[in-house]
Amino acid sequence: MTGNTSKSLVMSDAASIRQRIGSWIGQGFLLLATSLSAFAVFFIFYFILKDAIPFFQLEGFKEFFASKRWYPSGHPAEFGALSIFVGTGLVTLGAIVVAVPLGISAAVCLSDLLPFGIRQIVKPVIEILAAIPSVAFGFFALVVFAPLLQRSGGAILATGAWLVLGPILALLVVVGGDLLLEKMRNRIQGKKRYLASVSVFGVLGLGSILFLVFLSRRLGGIEINSGTNALNVSIILGIMALPTIVSVSEDALQAAGRELREGSYALGSTRAETILKAVIPASVSGILAAVILGVMRAIGETMVVWMASGNAARIPDPWYNVLQPIRTLTATIAGDMGEADHVTGSARYHVLFAMAFCLLAFSFLMNLASELIVKRSRKKLGK
Amino acid sequence: MRLETRKLLDKAFSGLGLIAIAVMATALVLILSPIIWRGSKAFVFKGTIEHRRVMLEQFNRGNPDRFNQEWVQVAKAREPVYRMLADFEAEMREMPSSERREYRSAFKELQEAVEILLGPAPGEDIPVLIRKRYGQTRWDRTQIKLHEVLYSEEWDYSNPDAMGILVEKPRLEQFMGTKLEPFFAYVEEHIDEIMRPKTTFYWQFITDTSKDSHIFGGIWPEVLGTIYLTLGAMIFAIPMGVIAAIYLCEYAKEGRIVSFLRICISTLAGVPSIVFGLFGLAFFLNTMHVSDSRSVLAGSMTLSLLILPTIIRSSEEAILAVPRSYKEAAFGLGAGRWRTVLTVILPAALPGILTGIVISMGRAAGETAPIIFTAAVSVGAPLKIWETLNQPTPALPWNIYNLCTEHEAVDEIRHVQYGMVLTLVALVLLLNLFAILMRARISKKLRG
Repeated sequence: MTGNTSKSLVMSDAASIRQRIGSWIGQGFLLLATSLSAFAVFFIFYFILKDAIPFFQLEGFKEFFASKRWYPSGHPAEFGALSIFVGTGLVTLGAIVVAVPLGISAAVCLSDLLPFGIRQIVKPVIEILAAIPSVAFGFFALVVFAPLLQRSGGAILATGAWLVLGPILALLVVVGGDLLLEKMRNRIQGKKRYLASVSVFGVLGLGSILFLVFLSRRLGGIEINSGTNALNVSIILGIMALPTIVSVSEDALQAAGRELREGSYALGSTRAETILKAVIPASVSGILAAVILGVMRAIGETMVVWMASGNAARIPDPWYNVLQPIRTLTATIAGDMGEADHVTGSARYHVLFAMAFCLLAFSFLMNLASELIVKRSRKKLGK
Repeated sequence: MRLETRKLLDKAFSGLGLIAIAVMATALVLILSPIIWRGSKAFVFKGTIEHRRVMLEQFNRGNPDRFNQEWVQVAKAREPVYRMLADFEAEMREMPSSERREYRSAFKELQEAVEILLGPAPGEDIPVLIRKRYGQTRWDRTQIKLHEVLYSEEWDYSNPDAMGILVEKPRLEQFMGTKLEPFFAYVEEHIDEIMRPKTTFYWQFITDTSKDSHIFGGIWPEVLGTIYLTLGAMIFAIPMGVIAAIYLCEYAKEGRIVSFLRICISTLAGVPSIVFGLFGLAFFLNTMHVSDSRSVLAGSMTLSLLILPTIIRSSEEAILAVPRSYKEAAFGLGAGRWRTVLTVILPAALPGILTGIVISMGRAAGETAPIIFTAAVSVGAPLKIWETLNQPTPALPWNIYNLCTEHEAVDEIRHVQYGMVLTLVALVLLLNLFAILMRARISKKLRG
């Protein structure tokens, strides 16, 4: 009986070897399946580069990166992609301006201000925003937002200025007035103090209201010739990049830890001071990674820019004029491949791969950077 | 700084955060509400007699007897319209040629407008194009077309400094004093009897094929194409993604190879979707020749690469969330690693893995850029399942783009565009809602 038990518990050499080989093969298979994504990355780089190199052999680097003349179907064809690069940069910059302040404040609000119950409601809102297909955003930009901008662009800009600058100016007036009064307090006494505070707040408040009225008058007078322009695309891309920025930077803020916050409160800071002076500096690298990921989303987006950017391959005049149509790399690839597909092997076909390679290389570098930043910050926080 | 100011700043700071959240929620509402409101009008709208005629003749739907009864009444209401037109034509023939020339072009314009509103006049040949065989099928379009019958549009260039202004003139003025004078009042007053609008619930919008490139009918080819592409992408991506997650969590020892693999996965997640499209074209179609032309197969493969990182990450998270004690208990009972994974860890992680799969399904269904060069085609019939191996398909995301930018009658088919967007958004959001609910259940289970 005892012998029988030991027989089943201790394996013979042959069985042990068999099992070991089996587990090796199994693990090898698993590793192979896992490496699929590595193969995919290599193949993507290889095949995009393979079709991009012939373009640089045919046309060289200088024209592609330095010239503004984009006439791929002309005789002779010209492939100056500078204006397309500028267009991509412009809408990305616009998306950053829209998404970064909003996204970071929303992330702060989610991680530090809102009670748990409300957070559970807000999070699905962000998920829904992230889930909406890009073509639906593009459709909205083209069919709803562009005509609206064209019809009443000035009014929209003026309202936007009031909504954005109004609260900021009000805050500045209150804080600035308070600081001024504090400086004056030693010199002015008695009843005059009341008079001084009224006059300081009055002057500052009146000044900022006048400034806003003036600004909204100027903006209200602007006529937008085409609703499909860089502004439209920037706003929509900003909204699309928001969920990424919010969720990644919220994770970073959460990772800063409870001890840090409690230490700051113990020193007598308010919540705002704690967040601004302790939490955000501690998690700045994570927030930076979030911004990078958001930027990548905006640069790589195709449908919205293809549908609503106007697709005009020229640099706006002046370069920051977001009310003019622009063209981006992704939209050029998507739009021109339909025509270039029939002329496989021509410079016109390969130039699109050259653009795709630029996108790929840029997103690869950005991705590496964000990985490095996150890794370093984790090390710093000791996790 | 005074304490009051600091408190104020603190409050303002909280306000800023709340405003940001409010802006985000408002943006969501602003974007979704026109899509939902106008998209629902593709399904529920006031359909005219012409809609019921299209349904009967093109889709064999509806009761022919009841339609014929209604049609007799409509024909009676329309009879004076055609009689007045014919009377005027006779009157015009009698006119001196100088006067006739004056009326001819205006009359032709009017005739065309009437034909667009009501369809071809009785007794005329049946046109080849399906869209010309019927009048306006929707009451909202009817009113626009009625306006075009009643008013003519002219460009006023009298001010050379400004752009031309569009001026509307009643056609009644053009035909004052002729036999056509009572025509306009009659059409305007009797439009209800002529068109017979009735609230229609056209749920078959999703399951009907389109007639004459989406002028009539539904969006079934697109819906089916999207389903094929999504499921096809899942067939490739789920096994690979789940296996990779199992390997990374349970087998791999942290080291160079694993950190390299992780970098590759995050790089794959960051590749712009249009680059996936180009890669699919250059690799699957031009190098591997998985099919002769664009096909659902090539598109599914491209999409599966796109969602692979998402599936790997969410499966990894789900596997890591399985409590350690489960694994230790299995080991303690003498189970090997492989058996533990198959019988203990995977079943416990399954809901979490499914959540990730459902979310990436939504992503695959909505992606446009990867399928432009690999799978999509503007017009096509619904595919049989074996045709997916070598034939391209229409798909919701691509056809939304196509219909609102390249279609020849963009304004006429706004309702179809909105209906398509609503269908796609609803599909994706339902998948996500499912995932959110599932995750809520999991977290409750893990907590309790």
